[in-house]
Amino acid sequence: MFSKLALRNVRRSFRDYGVYLLTLTFGVCLFYTFNSIQDQGALVYLSNVGNPIVEAITMLIDIFSVFVAVVLACLILYANRFLLRRRKRELGTYLLLGLSQGQVSRLLFLETGLIGLISLIAGLALGVAASFGMSALTLSMFEIDVSDMLAVKFSSGAAGKTVLYFGVIFLLVMVLSGVQVSKAKLIDLIHGERKNEILKPRPLGIAVFQFVLGVVCLIAAYAILLTFGMALAIAVPFLCFPMLGLGTLGTLLIFRSLSGFVMKFVQGHPGLYFKNLNVFTLRQWISKVHTTYLAQTVVCILLLLAIGITASSLGLNSTLTAMTDGEAPFDITVQNQSGDTERVDFDAVLREGGFNPDEKLAWSYDTMFYYNEGEITGIEDASGAIKVSDLDALLNRQGKPAYSGALPALLETLEDKLTTGNLSLRCVVIPDDMADRLQPRRQVWSADYAGEDKAETEEQLLQLVRPLNEKVSIQLESRLSIYGDMMGNKILALFLGLYLGFTFLLAAAAVLALQQLSQGADNTGRYAVLRRLGAEEKQMKKSATQQVALAFLLPLVLALVHSAVGMKAANDIIFAVGKVDSAASSLVTAGVILVVYGGYFLATALACRRMAKNA
Amino acid sequence: MSEILTVTDLKKVYGKGGSLTRALDGVSLSLEAGEFVGVMGPSGSGKTTLLNCVSTIDRPSAGSIVIDGKELTRLKGKELAKFRRERLGFIFQDCNLLDTLTTYENIALSLSIIRAPAQKIDRRVREMADLLGIADCLDKYPYQMSGGQQQRCAAARAMVTHPALVLADEPTGALDSKSSQLLLDRLDELNMELGATILMVTHDAFTASCCRRVVFLRDGKLFLELHRGNDSRKVFFKKIIQVVTEMGGGMADVL
Repeated sequence: MFSKLALRNVRRSFRDYGVYLLTLTFGVCLFYTFNSIQDQGALVYLSNVGNPIVEAITMLIDIFSVFVAVVLACLILYANRFLLRRRKRELGTYLLLGLSQGQVSRLLFLETGLIGLISLIAGLALGVAASFGMSALTLSMFEIDVSDMLAVKFSSGAAGKTVLYFGVIFLLVMVLSGVQVSKAKLIDLIHGERKNEILKPRPLGIAVFQFVLGVVCLIAAYAILLTFGMALAIAVPFLCFPMLGLGTLGTLLIFRSLSGFVMKFVQGHPGLYFKNLNVFTLRQWISKVHTTYLAQTVVCILLLLAIGITASSLGLNSTLTAMTDGEAPFDITVQNQSGDTERVDFDAVLREGGFNPDEKLAWSYDTMFYYNEGEITGIEDASGAIKVSDLDALLNRQGKPAYSGALPALLETLEDKLTTGNLSLRCVVIPDDMADRLQPRRQVWSADYAGEDKAETEEQLLQLVRPLNEKVSIQLESRLSIYGDMMGNKILALFLGLYLGFTFLLAAAAVLALQQLSQGADNTGRYAVLRRLGAEEKQMKKSATQQVALAFLLPLVLALVHSAVGMKAANDIIFAVGKVDSAASSLVTAGVILVVYGGYFLATALACRRMAKNA
Repeated sequence: MSEILTVTDLKKVYGKGGSLTRALDGVSLSLEAGEFVGVMGPSGSGKTTLLNCVSTIDRPSAGSIVIDGKELTRLKGKELAKFRRERLGFIFQDCNLLDTLTTYENIALSLSIIRAPAQKIDRRVREMADLLGIADCLDKYPYQMSGGQQQRCAAARAMVTHPALVLADEPTGALDSKSSQLLLDRLDELNMELGATILMVTHDAFTASCCRRVVFLRDGKLFLELHRGNDSRKVFFKKIIQVVTEMGGGMADVL
């Protein structure tokens, strides 16, 4: 009997409380997706190449997950409280019919359990799809071809963790709603219709002033950003804080005053003011501004962050390519720190170990760096010296022109990397014959691999080079390891950004939706009046949609304006070396944001339209 | 004078099969343009059902209602909504103003709904507000006004579209005597000056006494009609009280 009632209630909630289920499902999906990343292609690849960042990512995701779980728990409790408030009457009727409070609590217990089960299953299914999408997204950021790592996987560890965390949250919800029912008085439940908030008349003149002030704030913030450029405006605190402060204040003021401003404008245009239900829609908007403008500001900033993360992942990708080339001109560099005493013949070592350099290396070069002696070179302020022929060979390999300056001279070109990894020597370029008079300091051997499978070649080479450490002090740096580090950092930033970004987006959109729904419920009386006045159903539905759209789309529009300005400021970074694959992945991210946000908008608008229709 | 409302042999039956409730059992009634008619009767006499049928909120089981030459029972869906907003005006007991709109906007909204030309709306709203004595409350919200002012605002909203027929359901029900009197004076004035046709349901004899004619319903049937004629209001009020006492007479015998 109870389970039948609970089942029917749950089935009804599909229609009425779509937003609640949507939130739960998205929450589960989000949680699973990010907790399953250690089993996803990108991290599997990174851990295969022994990158230490994997542990850091896993650990940080673990820590963030606790935080996200707390946010989601608060959100679910808020949503549940909102639902219970709307069901007060129904619960009161159960009590009036003679059910004990324990029985009603049990009913709610069953319902929450059922809803939790459904959303867990749906969320996990969605999560498997989402983690595949995210895997594709992160793998697309790799320069090297790792597409074979892409596969649909079910991570049982992540699923277990999700079930555990959400199980606890649902248990909490069950207990709290049970407590709420057992504490409630019957009279309050029966007369539980929500009272309207007291509306305070606010002169429209103030709204106009606030709006103008908000626009001025935003223009000032934009001006700072566009004048000084993205890099400077963010790095310098006394530019950054005023800019962010003005931007936030401007956004806040605009959301707070836009309705009044529009009203003032429309009042001057009777054709608009008196058209259809415009007066009603506008007044509804104004009357709710004070409960929604904070949420709207937060949503706007979160959307901006989400767009920003997308854009910067794109920007990071391009700079990463440039940085890898700058940091790692050669596939590998081996520095022999004991070069002054013990010189290594790399060619011989490799051949001895069965590694044929002629076949497996496209190029290799052995360079000797010398101690700089001021008396000989005539330059005091340097710690090393390199022969001009060696320098030219290294520059030539990078496709750069040969050295053409005076000899000997201090090598000014810090951007000209002579090794993969740090050399940390300030060098003098010397004529080749001067080298005989200088003491050898360090032996540096660089090489480029031949063939496609560079990872394999590197593995074989390292097998032979690493043991040298027993005799001499070896320092190894390869393009792949530098690349892996950068990739790891980038993925770390991206994952954590997306994780938090989506969590907040979800929370903000859900709060906005619940606010609109509770307002929609309050509006039913007003729609009934409109119907009696002879308003057409079509127009009432339109008005309901417009009200929801104003609440949802304004933050999106303002966020788009903000990010358009931001993009313009970051133009150089982002679009200079934009790559097609990262643009595609950014589009996917933008698409997912739109789906989540749009899903909430649609669910809310449909529910509010239904309320207007049934009023 | 032309007839605005003609109700012929109106029947409304609730329920099915054996347990039928006849809320209206063959009521006939007609209103001429510019009449101010009250409908009285005890609870369950069918007052509200009659009003609901006339106001197109409910459909009668049998009989016909003709308003301004239109047969209501044949109208459907959109036509009905159009008829309702263009030809009828409503005043309810709980005045049903939209609490988020100012008085001015509440009145203007009903003009917006009938798609009146925007340039004329302002003038018509102000004229109507002057007539009902709420010109100084136009920029106030409903909760800033007294119940009487709210009800007069509701009356202005009902009248501003110049409906063929104004239907009032216990308009003074929630008002104190002074506010009631003020509202009734205004309705009387509107009736006299604008020639508005008003059908008012009430169970209050004093309220009914300001009508030109009062119709009594009992058990879904027309029981009696009183014409005020040239009587003063005081005399008319006494006549009404007499009828009310007679209608309750059945009980008086038992006691």
